[in-house]
Amino acid sequence: MEKAKRLDDKARPKRPLQAWFDVRQDRLGTWAFALNRLTGIGLTVYLFLHLGVLSLLAQGPEAWDDFLELAHHPLYLMLDVILIFGILFHGLNGIRVALVGMGIGVRSQRTLFWVLMGIGLVLLVVSAWLVFTI
Amino acid sequence: MQELLSEQRTVQERASGPAGALWLVQAFSGLLLVLLLLLHMIAHHFVVEGGLRDYQEVVDYVSNPAIFTITIVFLIVVSIHALLGLRALVMDLGPKESTMRVVNWILVIIGVAMVIYGVWLEVTITRM
Amino acid sequence: MPEKDIQFKVFRYKQGQDAPVYDTFTVPCDEDTTVLVALQAIRRDDDPSLTLRHSCHHASCGTCGLRINGQEELGCVVRVLELGTDTVVVEPMSNLPVISDLVVSMVPFYGVLNEVERPYIRQSEFMQQADTPKGIEMYTRYENCLECGLCVSACPIMGSDEAYQGPAALAAAWRVFEEPRGNDPEAALDWTDHAHGCWRCHVAYECTEACPSDVQPAEKIMSLRRELTKRKLGRLFSFGR
Repeated sequence: MEKAKRLDDKARPKRPLQAWFDVRQDRLGTWAFALNRLTGIGLTVYLFLHLGVLSLLAQGPEAWDDFLELAHHPLYLMLDVILIFGILFHGLNGIRVALVGMGIGVRSQRTLFWVLMGIGLVLLVVSAWLVFTI
Repeated sequence: MQELLSEQRTVQERASGPAGALWLVQAFSGLLLVLLLLLHMIAHHFVVEGGLRDYQEVVDYVSNPAIFTITIVFLIVVSIHALLGLRALVMDLGPKESTMRVVNWILVIIGVAMVIYGVWLEVTITRM
Repeated sequence: MPEKDIQFKVFRYKQGQDAPVYDTFTVPCDEDTTVLVALQAIRRDDDPSLTLRHSCHHASCGTCGLRINGQEELGCVVRVLELGTDTVVVEPMSNLPVISDLVVSMVPFYGVLNEVERPYIRQSEFMQQADTPKGIEMYTRYENCLECGLCVSACPIMGSDEAYQGPAALAAAWRVFEEPRGNDPEAALDWTDHAHGCWRCHVAYECTEACPSDVQPAEKIMSLRRELTKRKLGRLFSFGR
């Protein structure tokens, strides 16, 4: 089955990125979707980086411990906090998408979103504090 | 205007395939990951002195058969979720079925490679 | 309330143009002036070539769907001064091809909606306790959906996936499942069960936000998914029994 003929909107050619990331005011749902997509892509990139870095373990203690020095650098720790934000947003918003998308909590999805974001904010602050103090 | 109207077709297209089943896998793997990631973060960063295990601590930790297994399960679940996520992104662009066949295969190959790599890495470091 | 001069930045496009432009017009508006009335004033006093659609002027026909300051609205019931901006941007609905200026082609919209064959009449939840007059069996009313297209305009996925059935058609399919009125509810459900059907939705709920007629398409899409999830999980767990 081939894709149906592209509808010719000569005035406004199809721009998926513009459609997905149309984050003007009063577009909470689009914000949530766009940020979920962005964090998803970011986390996937991170996943590959993380798996790659773990190969240092196969090179022995010196290689790994060298990496650990870098991993304690403040700049690196800041990136860790950004990563944690990504994980928290994607995970918590994902709970909403998973539940509502299965038909659970369908009429209270906005409330669910804000409750989950509230939990996320608390967890983010706690994690950031821990990252810099552990 | 007539040309414009006659060019416009209905774009109903039925893609065959287990779309709903795949979405459910995505949803349940995601929910599972909330738990697995929480455990992962706690186990690797928030119970260890300094937040990161040194080489020997990693080897000791991963040598535990339960940990070894859970780590592989975690890798499988996260790989499925990440790759299905990428697949959803491509599907949102309304691609041809022939394109999706290629994309599906690429994702399967990447996924299998990720898991093989993970198993290899764990086996290697526990044997060093 | 005295009149206030409001600037309207209006999307203009005629077939053959390279790209759309925005023309600016100034229209004096008072507290009762709606966007539709202001656009008609522009046609009458400034530029008769401005093309737009309108009909009932009371949010009942679904003809005048627009994007006003970036938000999906029926132009006939939006009061200009209530927008609170000195410049009002008026654009055609998104995700449907522009024919001319603010007029979009509804052909793709109806193309998919008509596949559902949802009846226009539904059970009425009003006056359920009332005694119906002799000869009248029960009260019915029209479906909520005005077929205005605002939900399609608001949906982020409609902008990238032309094959997506979209909120209007999916909501209609749910209505057929919920109240078949002689149609096959399972066929309606099955019609949505594929990659470019109800599973393509990313739960943004912009369709429900945009809908001027309380259709709640997002909730209906989730209801479709609930039914399908129950069936799929049911099949999974009964395997081997």
